[in-house]
Amino acid sequence: MSVETWRVRWFARSLLSLAALIVLLPLIYMVGISLKPAGRVFENVFLPFTTTVTLQNYENVLKTVPMFRYLWNSILFSFGVAIGQLLLALPAAFAFSYYEFRLKKTLLALVILSLMVPFVVTYIPNYLLLADLKLINTLPGLILPMLGISLGFGIFLLRQHFMSFPKEILEAAMIDGAASWQVLLRVVAPANISAITALLIYILINTWNQFIWPLLIGGGREEAYTLTVGVQMYFINPEAGNRWGAILAASVLAALPTVIVYLIMRKGVLRTFTEGAIKG
Amino acid sequence: MDRTLSLPTFARYTRTLTRSGAQFWSRSLRGLQPYLYIAPALTAIVLFVYLPLVRTVHLSFYQGNLLNPTRVYVGLTNYTQLLDSPIFQRTLLQSGYYVLFSLIGSVIIPVSLALLTLHLTDKEIDFYQSTLFLPTVMAFNVVVLIWAFFLLPTPNGLFNRLIALFGQAPQSWLKDPLFALPSIALMANWKIMGFHFLLAVAGLKAIPRECLEAAYVDGAHGWTLMRRVVLPLFAPTGLFLITVTLIGSMDAVFTPIRVLTEGGPNNATNNLMYAIYSEGFRFFRLGQASAMSVILIVLFGGVIYWQYRLLDRWVTYER
Repeated sequence: MSVETWRVRWFARSLLSLAALIVLLPLIYMVGISLKPAGRVFENVFLPFTTTVTLQNYENVLKTVPMFRYLWNSILFSFGVAIGQLLLALPAAFAFSYYEFRLKKTLLALVILSLMVPFVVTYIPNYLLLADLKLINTLPGLILPMLGISLGFGIFLLRQHFMSFPKEILEAAMIDGAASWQVLLRVVAPANISAITALLIYILINTWNQFIWPLLIGGGREEAYTLTVGVQMYFINPEAGNRWGAILAASVLAALPTVIVYLIMRKGVLRTFTEGAIKG
Repeated sequence: MDRTLSLPTFARYTRTLTRSGAQFWSRSLRGLQPYLYIAPALTAIVLFVYLPLVRTVHLSFYQGNLLNPTRVYVGLTNYTQLLDSPIFQRTLLQSGYYVLFSLIGSVIIPVSLALLTLHLTDKEIDFYQSTLFLPTVMAFNVVVLIWAFFLLPTPNGLFNRLIALFGQAPQSWLKDPLFALPSIALMANWKIMGFHFLLAVAGLKAIPRECLEAAYVDGAHGWTLMRRVVLPLFAPTGLFLITVTLIGSMDAVFTPIRVLTEGGPNNATNNLMYAIYSEGFRFFRLGQASAMSVILIVLFGGVIYWQYRLLDRWVTYER
């Protein structure tokens, strides 16, 4: 290896490491300050950690805020959306990949174009719709519109995977007398299980992290707060001035589940995020 | 004789008729199958995306309160009022500022970092991708609170301590009309950078290695290789990233604006998307919010159309 390539390589490494450090630093501070003793948050503010590490902030948060209630709501919300979207996307993607029919192109375009409609445009009409249905401040109200919004992504992604599945196997199954829904459930879905799981994780993470919509629909009643909304309400709660440690402890608790899932399923998550974007 | 059918002929006739009838039904059922598979998904999309879209356009010709069903038809008044309003013009301008910041933080920086990975092994690339991606999987309204801590207006806030090292007086970052917008943009780009880095690297990896090796053998090195070979082949990904950024820049700052500034101070951090939200859900002005939504859709439609035109031309040019 020439000296020049060696130098370029180290240049690349150091710049990328610097970028990684800049990205990670706020997260390190978040964890660090949440572990500082309450009165000593601003002591040595440049250092994310003090010598004494305490879980006192976490105890305070769990004592004063019903975090487990919020956690449960977040679980119901994200699993409701993820499973619902999957149930809708699977048959649609199946039809779009293996059938020829007259309106195929138009309907597919309709599905994909729906992803270009900005969230914020749908907030007001969907809010009005849910108000008519008396679903404001309820979990079904939170979940329902999310089954349509961004559903196109799942259909599109699954279609990409289904299309690369050999058609001969399907035809063989059909000749053996299997109905098309059996082909979907017994052949296509099991064969694409890794793509389906990755999509499920992707929707779970995205839904878990939603904030504006749960705030609009569930923000009026504490029983309907998701974790993100709960943390926001804790943050704006005016009582007690100097409680950054506790606020950041609540943040860490709310962010932890998706980070853990990401660390476990890293490869699949990264692939899904990439595929969804590039192939679009 | 011709007009009457003998019994056997009649029997055969009806049999063929019923058989073809059954065939007809089974065939059209099979023809209906794909539609049946698509129907539930399409219903959800139409109900929660397209009908709202239509309703938004409809509402933009009315004035009324979000919480009150009485609405008055006002024609194009909402639009003329908006286009005449200096605050709205400023909102549009600031949306443009956010785009400029995003072009640096969500296109130039991640693409440059991605180009650097050409010199690294796959294992190293994987490490940097995974690390930089971490903020993407975390709830933004939650991690944005650490930035609120960094930017505390008190002298003991981290940023204020930092500038104090250079002898500067403490700033109230998020309440200062000059610093508020860049601060918000900084948070948004911090969050998105890793995601766009991931996409940029994927775009680079899609370039066939043989192309690069052939060019290298032909004597293209360093900057020439980059400019003449890598960048043209990377162009579709780059264009895609620019489009995503043009469209996503307003969305990216939505959460920090909502949590930290609510568009203030005095509209200094507002943009078109947040304005729609606050018109609708803070001031309950349905008509104004809907008219803004229509303007937003038209702008986005333009960007997407432009991207397709450009992509079309480039792709045909390459072939």
